[in-house]
Amino acid sequence: MLRIENLKKVFGRTVALDGLNMTVEQGALYGFVGPNGAGKTTTIKTVIGLLAPDEGRVLVGGIDVDKEPDRVMARIGYVPDSFGVYDNLKVSEYMEFFASCYGLTGLKARKRAQMLLEQVGLDDKADFYVEGLSRGMQQRLCLARALIHNPPVLIMDEPTAGLDPRTRYEFKEILKELQSQGKTILISSHILPELAEICTDIGVVDQGRMVFEGSMEEILEQINVASPLLISVSGSQQEALKLLRAHPEVETITIREEEIVVGFSGDKKDEGALLKQLIDAGVNVYGFMRERGNLESVFMQITDHSGEEVVLIHED
Amino acid sequence: MRINPIYRQESRAGARSFKLPLIILGFNSVLAVVALLYMYSMIAQVRLTAEIQYSSFLGLYSFVATMEFVLLLFIIPGLTAGSISGERERQTLELMLTTRLKASDIVAGKLVQGLSTVFLLIVSSFPILGLVFIYGGVTMPDVGLLLLCYVVTAVLLGSAGLFCSALMRRSTMATVTAYLVVVVLNAGTLVVNYLADGLGEMTLTGGNAAAGWPMYLLLWNPAATFQTVLNSQMGSGSGLAPFFPQLERIADMGLAGRYWLPLSMALQLLLAACFLWGAVRNTKPGRRGRRRG
Repeated sequence: MLRIENLKKVFGRTVALDGLNMTVEQGALYGFVGPNGAGKTTTIKTVIGLLAPDEGRVLVGGIDVDKEPDRVMARIGYVPDSFGVYDNLKVSEYMEFFASCYGLTGLKARKRAQMLLEQVGLDDKADFYVEGLSRGMQQRLCLARALIHNPPVLIMDEPTAGLDPRTRYEFKEILKELQSQGKTILISSHILPELAEICTDIGVVDQGRMVFEGSMEEILEQINVASPLLISVSGSQQEALKLLRAHPEVETITIREEEIVVGFSGDKKDEGALLKQLIDAGVNVYGFMRERGNLESVFMQITDHSGEEVVLIHED
Repeated sequence: MRINPIYRQESRAGARSFKLPLIILGFNSVLAVVALLYMYSMIAQVRLTAEIQYSSFLGLYSFVATMEFVLLLFIIPGLTAGSISGERERQTLELMLTTRLKASDIVAGKLVQGLSTVFLLIVSSFPILGLVFIYGGVTMPDVGLLLLCYVVTAVLLGSAGLFCSALMRRSTMATVTAYLVVVVLNAGTLVVNYLADGLGEMTLTGGNAAAGWPMYLLLWNPAATFQTVLNSQMGSGSGLAPFFPQLERIADMGLAGRYWLPLSMALQLLLAACFLWGAVRNTKPGRRGRRRG
């Protein structure tokens, strides 16, 4: 549904996007993550036609944004990170105004606006002035506005930033419902646990490039690999430490009380081989497992540019 | 008929604001006070001399018309200079640009909204200007021509305000720049003519430099056009005439002099079109750049 091919964008001397590629399948809820300045907002602004790419192209439903922006705009709903309000406009008028921006007027526009306000739980606020709504309500209104022309693709830039946990939860539920209706959703966010809960796919951008892209299953596999091994041994740890230090796939070793925490880059097969090596060396292993990881740890690992060394740290 | 969504939204929001009634009240109050004071001074003169000079009543028309023109010069840039930059500051411009609206629709909506306010001011002031009909001397076509001059000025200065609004990120800067454009158009072109006059007088032959190219700059000057309208109706010496002695030499300019008024209005509308083109171009900065690769 949405494909970005070799996207490049330079602002002066700053390379914002450096050959970014991305594929969002139809019906996916795609989490777009990356550190500050990684190029998330530039990518989103290019997708919605607010920025022209220096190189590469963006296709929405097979239509090139740069060549046929009007056709693409009809297929995209955009929710920005900031929410602009008009003075002296009521919620229903705000919705009708944006409906008219898409050529919807009269009864059709009013019905569509009313239906969307009900969907986001603002139907009882239709006669309230927009500026008088809370931030959470304004953001829900912004989501309703983005859906006024019933677009198949919804693009959201940090939509839950600054919202309280309850509003974030409600917002998340609305997104799940939209996805169940067949909408393709691209959501950029810093709140990684939330993305892990709702997204079907994840893309991690760093320094203008896509450094990881895949389904949630793939990233969960990555999470397992990224998490350290927790090894518990009875008796002296010296033999185990000697063996671990010499192992080529061991990156870090930390001693946490009676547990040895090992940064291990190998897969499950390598884990088995390491366990066998320890047992063969006469180490009494009574605990051997991967620490439960999360999306945040993978994100930190992928976007960490400092080189890692084998270290030995004693934690109190 | 499809009404421009921006115009409709602005009109609805504007109708709820106190700003518009206050502008209309202030504008007409100033004009009414000026007209009444002028009439009071005329009547006082009649009491003193026991003579009624009907030419003084024509002076009322020229005085009120000039006052209205000067007020419009101050009001029009203020109405349009914050329109697009204001949307940018409210962060609603991006939202509009991601709809099916084109940048030209946004600029057109803002222009029509600004002009409708100006037209409301002009129409609401008509009764004050119409005081002159009590005594005669000015016909309806004369007033019509004056109103046409106001409209052309409104379109030009409104478009300049929109251009500045699209160019500048902040409304304050856009407003300052719009007023600078007004000063350059109205005073700048005149100053160039004064300098040319001065240089002409310094030559040995004492040549008339004002009949040269600097005179053509006055074609772009809304105040010069307004004064040409007044001169055509009341003869020289009325309104802003003391500032525009060069306009008395229009007749020496051949074809351009013969069609000075329509030519100046056409050129000012052309300049307005250029400002609008610039406003549209700057409203959508992301699509300005060409591909490098």
